[in-house]
Amino acid sequence: MLSMKNISKVFKTDLVETHALRDFNLEVAEGEFVAVTGPSGSGKTTFLNIAGLLEGFTLGDYFLDGVNISNLSDNKSAAIRNEKIGFIFQGFNLIPDLNLAENVEVPLRYRGFSAKERKRRVQHALEQVGLAARMKHLPSQLSGGQQQRVAIARALAGEPRFLLADEPTGNLDSMMARQVMELLEDINKAGTTIIMVTHDAELARRAQRNIQIVDGQVCDFTMYQGGEGYQSGEGHQGGERTNEKPHLVTESRASVNQDKVAS
Amino acid sequence: MFFYYLDLAWRSIKKTPFLSLLMVLAISIGIGITITTLNVYQLMSVNPAGERSDKLLAVQLWSQGKDAWKEFNVQLTYQDAFNLRKSDVPVRQTAMFVTGLALQTEDPDFAPMLETVRVTDSDFFDMFSVPFIYGKAWDKSVDTEAVYQVVINESLNKQLFASENSIGRTLFLDSKPYQIVGVTQSWSPSPLYPDLTTGAFKDAAQAFVPFSLAPIEEFQSWGNNQSWKRESINNYSQRLNSEMHWIQYWAEVQDDKQRDEYAQWLQRYVDQQQLLGRFESPEAAAQLSNVEQWLEVNEVVPEDNKILVGLSALFLIVCLVNMLGLLLAKFLKRAPEVGVRRAIGASRGQIFSQHMVEVGLIGFCGGILGLAWAWASLFLLSSRFDLEKSLTHLDISMWFIAPVIAIFAALVAGTYPALRICSTNPSVHLKSQ
Repeated sequence: MLSMKNISKVFKTDLVETHALRDFNLEVAEGEFVAVTGPSGSGKTTFLNIAGLLEGFTLGDYFLDGVNISNLSDNKSAAIRNEKIGFIFQGFNLIPDLNLAENVEVPLRYRGFSAKERKRRVQHALEQVGLAARMKHLPSQLSGGQQQRVAIARALAGEPRFLLADEPTGNLDSMMARQVMELLEDINKAGTTIIMVTHDAELARRAQRNIQIVDGQVCDFTMYQGGEGYQSGEGHQGGERTNEKPHLVTESRASVNQDKVAS
Repeated sequence: MFFYYLDLAWRSIKKTPFLSLLMVLAISIGIGITITTLNVYQLMSVNPAGERSDKLLAVQLWSQGKDAWKEFNVQLTYQDAFNLRKSDVPVRQTAMFVTGLALQTEDPDFAPMLETVRVTDSDFFDMFSVPFIYGKAWDKSVDTEAVYQVVINESLNKQLFASENSIGRTLFLDSKPYQIVGVTQSWSPSPLYPDLTTGAFKDAAQAFVPFSLAPIEEFQSWGNNQSWKRESINNYSQRLNSEMHWIQYWAEVQDDKQRDEYAQWLQRYVDQQQLLGRFESPEAAAQLSNVEQWLEVNEVVPEDNKILVGLSALFLIVCLVNMLGLLLAKFLKRAPEVGVRRAIGASRGQIFSQHMVEVGLIGFCGGILGLAWAWASLFLLSSRFDLEKSLTHLDISMWFIAPVIAIFAALVAGTYPALRICSTNPSVHLKSQ
């Protein structure tokens, strides 16, 4: 589904070169729920931006659904973002002047759906998040949790195969965060691949796989099985997860081979 | 997507009404001034003869002596006009000048009024496409054998006879009875190209009388009279035989061949006059100008006017630069929203189009307001500065030209801000929202 090989991302200024990602390797299979953790400035968001085709990369290869992303035109990138990728942001990023239905409708507009089809999808997406009755409300009239659910509805409306969530519960209280997380789990169970960046270890543990990024490299991965046990790779530093021996042997410090995980 | 962008543009304008108003004002003032000058320029430079422009030829003769002015005079002497009129050249010709006559009806209670009257030949009406409501021009025979007949226009007919069919009725001009033979529709080409000597944008005369009556009635010329030599002119007969230029003269040809033949014929006339001791200058010649050329010869559009249009265009550019700055501020403030749109699938092209539609809408509003400014400024020019009425009405074409110029100008000004906003990195704004 998603394959990054030796991805490097360097931000250059006149004086400084900053390596946000270096020799970054990652493979995510279809239907996975991957949580990405790491300290601030480790490269999580850069990874997510590259994965979501919002930013280019300096070196390496990136394949999404078998398509080489390296040299795509802006139009092609936009089309892939629109058709295959859904975004959920920490700050919700709803457009304040548009009501809920219009917000959810935005990606469908760019996709060129008919008015009838847009209406059907908007209705369905808002029903999925339990906000169909409030589709004429403005985002400012909703709570943070509700706004995030609208953002999820917007991401779902285009029926993406791939959902990228950047701290989706970061601005929510614990109860709302739990609701949003349950919603994401339901979406994942329905077959959508999710990559979620989070600082919340509790939420990360609920994902199938946990990737830790440090200094722009994957330095740790953990496989959870039904939320109970886990499998940890090289470099794992999580104290409470050291009671089980990891199954997975990685070939390099910064690679995850999904085939081996499965075996 | 256009209507979606239009909806977004309208919301954006409503969201920032003050900023939007500033932009609309900036472009509207520029458009208002540009349209005002352009309107006057266009009304001045329009060729009212239309398709007949190439068929109608103003005749000029270099009849002056050696030490006189070094250019063709725009009018002829009476004796040259007389000679050309009486020739049998197979080309329609008409001589004319403008006079003023006291006008009175058969009604003794009607107070006499002084009216501008054009003294001309019967072909004048056909040549200059003057439409008739009642009757027609006087007969061709009247051009040689003077008869007291008159053609009036519908405005005068309304004033004198309540718009009734007045054919056959009598009108007194300088106390002489004239029979009305025709009533024309309102006819007042702008510029008044048949006679530009007394102002290109004056109204046409309201009554027309036969040229053949001039030597009999001794109509005074109310137009320009130019002499190149000192002559003693004590009576009308001396005036008719003088070298004074005061008659306008036109001919009508059907094609280039006929034009060439007529030009050759005129040259022979010049040669003949030289043999008779007139046309003393070695540069003596004849010149024909179609209507287009005639408007240029008479400098109907002054050079100042062209400069004014250029200056107003420069002012529009200043307004656009101002608008560009405001647009840049407005669009860049919207970068976070654009980041979201880009993230969920909008291409740069779509973001660019969205913003250009908004700019176009602002331009359109500016164009409409600019039209109002233009109308107001023309009204002011007309009422305060006594500018010719024919130059101070807002031409119908401006209703289309103003919005088109405004939209185009706004799109030019908006291109850079739209390019800037669609090339911003969306990821920068997604995290910071």
